[in-house]
Formats: sequence, C-alpha cells, structure tokens
Amino acid sequence: MKKVQFSRPLFPYLLLVPQLSIIMIFFYWPAAEAIRASFYLEDPFGFGSTFVGLDNYRDTLSGSEYGRVAWFTLIFTTLVAFFSLAIALLLAVKADTVLRGARSYRVALMWVYAIAPPVAGLMAILLFDQRLGPFTHMAQFFGWDFTLGVNYWDTATAMVIVSVWKQIPINFIFFLAGLQSIPRSVREAALIDNPNGLSRFFSVTFPLLAPTGFFLLIINITYALFDTFGVVDLIHKGEPGNNPVTLVYKVFLDGFRGGDLGGSSAQSVILMVLVLILTVVQFRFMERRVHYN
Amino acid sequence: MAHVILDSVRKTYPNGYKAVHGADFNISDGEFIVLVGPSGCGKSTLLRMIAGLEDVTDGEIIIGDTVVNDVDPARRDIAMVFQNYALYPHMTVRQNMAYGLKNQRMSKDAIAERITEAAKTLRLEEFLERKPGQLSGGQRQRVAMGRAIVRNPKVFLFDEPLSNLDAKLRTQLRAELKALHKRLSGTFVYVTHDQVEAMSLADRIIIMSAGQVEQIGTPMDLYLQPASRFVADFIGSPSMNMLQGTIGADGHTVDMGNESTLRFAAPIDAQPGTKVDVGIRPEHLQATSSSAAQFGLTVDFIEQLGADTVVHGKLTGQTDPLTLRLTGVHSIATGESFSLHSALENIHLFDSATGKRLN
Repeated sequence: MKKVQFSRPLFPYLLLVPQLSIIMIFFYWPAAEAIRASFYLEDPFGFGSTFVGLDNYRDTLSGSEYGRVAWFTLIFTTLVAFFSLAIALLLAVKADTVLRGARSYRVALMWVYAIAPPVAGLMAILLFDQRLGPFTHMAQFFGWDFTLGVNYWDTATAMVIVSVWKQIPINFIFFLAGLQSIPRSVREAALIDNPNGLSRFFSVTFPLLAPTGFFLLIINITYALFDTFGVVDLIHKGEPGNNPVTLVYKVFLDGFRGGDLGGSSAQSVILMVLVLILTVVQFRFMERRVHYN
Repeated sequence: MAHVILDSVRKTYPNGYKAVHGADFNISDGEFIVLVGPSGCGKSTLLRMIAGLEDVTDGEIIIGDTVVNDVDPARRDIAMVFQNYALYPHMTVRQNMAYGLKNQRMSKDAIAERITEAAKTLRLEEFLERKPGQLSGGQRQRVAMGRAIVRNPKVFLFDEPLSNLDAKLRTQLRAELKALHKRLSGTFVYVTHDQVEAMSLADRIIIMSAGQVEQIGTPMDLYLQPASRFVADFIGSPSMNMLQGTIGADGHTVDMGNESTLRFAAPIDAQPGTKVDVGIRPEHLQATSSSAAQFGLTVDFIEQLGADTVVHGKLTGQTDPLTLRLTGVHSIATGESFSLHSALENIHLFDSATGKRLN
C-alpha cells in the first residue's frame, strides 16, 4: 500500500466524510435509536413513551410465537443457503466445461440477477397461483394439492424456491470465477493422477474453491436472513395471517402493522447480536479450516 | 518402462489452427528424448497429446503395446512434470506425492515406502510435511519430480520444467535430471525451447518448427549435420553465420562474391547458378594469413565472456553480419580487420529457396 502524505492534516478526514456520514445516518443512528426504543413502551400514535427496562425483551423471548418464527427462520436460512450454493456450484462446474457458446450459457445463467426482488416475487405469485400457476398445476399432476397462502408449508416451499432462484446467479458468478482461477495445470495434474471425475472434484477442485465457498456461505446466510424480506412480503401479498414469516419480517409486522415499536426494536437488537455472534463464529472457526493460496 | 510410437499424429484445433502437421517417430525404451523448437512450434501440443490432455485429430499414439488415443490420461501409466509445478496447494508434499498412488488403490505401506525412497533421492525428506506454498521454486520442482517418480510410470513427460527457475538453479537441476534418468533408466520425453538444455540432456533431439518435425538425431548430428537452415540456426550459440553464395558452373564451387570462391571435393547437389546460404559456426572460423583467407571481417564490437571472446562484425566490404568466436581473452579494437578461414567440412550449404541442406 502506498503511503500518501497530506500537507493539511484535516484533509484526509474531509475525504472520509461522505462514507462516514452514510454509515452514521443509515446504520449507527438507526441502530442506536433501536437500542433506545427497545427499553421504552411507545405509544403507536407518537404521544409519548414510557421507560419499561427489559420488559420488551422479556415479552419477546417468552412468547411462543417468537420461538416458532426463529425455528422457521433457521430452517429457511439453511435450505436457502444450501440449495442456492449447491445448485450454483453444479451449474458453474458444468458451465466451466462448456467450450462452444460458453458466453451465451453464462449470460443465460446470470441474467436472473438483474431482476428486481419485487418483480421476482410477482413472477412467483403468478407461478404459484392457486388457479393459474403452472407450478400449482404441475404439483397437482403429481398429486400434491399445492395451496399458496393457505397451507403453511406450501407457502414456505414457494418462499424457499423463489429465494434460491434469486440467489443462484450471484453464487454462480463467484463460483465460476473461482473455478477459472484454479490453474489449468493443477487440474491437468489431477487428471493424470485420478481417473475418477467425482473423486477428483472433491479432492482437488472443491478444496481449492473453499475460499470462494466460505465467502459465499456468509453472503448467503446474510441474504436468507435479511434480504429475502421483499420475497416474503410479496408472497404473503400483505396478508401474513397464519403463513410462515422470518425474524426480519416479524420485526416489520410487529412494529409497523402491530404498532409495537418497543417490542419490534427489541427484536432488531436481538438480531443485531445474532449477526455479530454469527460473524465471529464463522471467522473464528471456519476460516482456519479453509485453504488460502 | 516402455517405448512410445507416434504414427502420423496430427492436431487441428476446433478453430482450424493446425498445431502439428504429422509427427512420425519412435522413442525407444529408456531413451531421453528432447522436443525442442521456438514457441508455437507444436512441441508442447505433441507432449500433451502423449499425456492425453489434448485429443489426437489424426494418427496413432502407442505407449508400450497399446494404442492410447482414447485412453484416459490417468490410465496411460505416464507421469508429467509441468512448467509451473502444478502442485496441489492444499496438500502437503507427502500428500501431493501420495495422491496418484492412492487413486491406484495402492496400500498405505507401499505408498509410504515409495515416498520415502523418492524423498531420499530428491533430498526432500525434511519438507514432506510442508505445503507447496512454503517451498522455494527449486524445491517445488523437485516435489513435482517426486510426484512423477513415485508413480513408477512407463513414460515420464516434462513440459519445460526448468523454465521458471533462475539460471544457476536450472543448471543444477539439469544435472540432477540427467542423473535421475540414468538411475531410473526410464523413458523421458522432455519439452524445452532452450537449445542448451536440449543439447545437454538428450539422447536424441526432435527439433520442430511450425508444426513440422525438422530433424531427429543425436545432439551431435544436429550440430554437425543440420538438415536445414532452420536447424542450423536454432542449434548453437551464438548462432551460425549465414552468408550468400551462388553455385559455380562446375557444380563443385560456391562463388561468394568479392572474388572469393569455395571449392568442395564432392559435387554439390544443386543446379549451377542456384542461390545458396553458406553456413559457418562462429567457433569454426579461424584467423589466418591473408593468402589463405576465405573471408574478411571488419569488427563492430566484441563480447568478452572470459572463456571466450565473441567478435561481431561485418563481412569486409559488405553488410552481411559475421560473428567469430575465439577461445580465451583477446583485446580487439572496433574497425580492426581479420582474415578468416574455415575447414570445408565445417561449411554447410543450404538452398536459399527451400532451406534444405545441399552438401
């Protein structure tokens, strides 16, 4: 890294101001506000607030609803992260070996990334619609009475499918780049050393993709936990009722639909702590087992 | 150990590029063959076809008694050493060497035994538990060789294995490689663009140019009797002087212009009046008295190499460059003139149009 000397000592700070102000306004300030609000009982119409200490946390964590949502979020995140990584890896490995028309294949696999989440949700609603949806018809053909928005697990299935579909392209791009950064000669050496393609993949290619995979795992867990809000919202069509929701969606429901700003703030704070723990755990324990070149 | 036969092997890439135009040769059991040529001549493609990393467009490759065109690289019983080592970065040196053997379902004890022996041969014992990232370039290349040795293959393939190393290490590993070949008495096929490497290592050299085999022979064959102007120019450093001449009327002489004429005892295999390139190696030119002179040299500059002095200049009165190599230390000034002479058996004649050897 090159060291630059500034003649005026305040100048570098001035250069940092735009970045810092964005972080301040959009992260630190709301975070601090959430922590503050989690200790108060807020009037839903803004006519004042009462300090209640840890009551909001106690209410949240003791409610059976919260446990159920947390449990669902765990299952949802696991499924979304696993399938979007596994399918993307499979596609990347296959696309990597294509010689003719490689570019068109890659574009075809990547373009989903350019679709905005609300549009993706809308497409999902059409796809899974109870009367019109092709997916519903196909499910019925196989004897599965698929009812989006009515059956808890059917709705969950749709949520997982759409979220996975939306996340595959970015994973694909990273995996493909990762595959292409493995030196050709190393793969050729493996070709000479091992006649079995599958075993070759798991003993040579996969370990060398580990840095990419580790990075993507974090990205995907974060995505499934937080960025699927739009997909969840559209699939519920604003009527969550008895349908599955994730923890992030519950923050929104309780705060803005239920008017319980204090409780929802407490939930946000719990999520913040969860993310912090998750990040520390991932970096501490998993990075050690990953080979970096 | 096995012999390798290439029977009119051709390679055309899907984009239409013809990399190899038909290679025909036999490599005997235990022979050290070096494929040499400038970059893009098809030597690496040929090696990769023997390894099975490239498809063969046409012709047959036979290792031992088997046609291997459609045999998987891992089942050809070959081992390859790559230019950039191609070690598995996530495995230790021991695991790198064991990987191929494990996939052959060899027993653990047998694997350990082979690794111990190879490590001893290559002085790698203390590095066995390290990862490639913790080794120097020379050590990595030794590991790559170790990985080849433990497999005890029919044929060893080397793709410019020393090109990424510095000059001193290269010389050292070259000697080790030669010793290794003697020890293992295996069949070695070695690709390089470095003619010194080719000359010092090979039992026989296959010299290639633009997808064609130019000449196959021992290093001394290539040096003393180059089959074409290309071979003459490629082998030897500094490279051979090429002067212009014309075949004389009686078919025994070459008119060099400047009133000097070379007279050969045997008739030259060309029509009188044919333009020829007269090739003389810088080390075969000798300073002589002006009466015996065949050529005159006017000095431009000299290179003092210690053991040798290389004199660069021009043919007197002309613009053709001429290089002279003298043993020992000489002090020569720019503009000085030399009268030069070369024994006729050291003069090579090539057809100017086709590049083929004429004498």
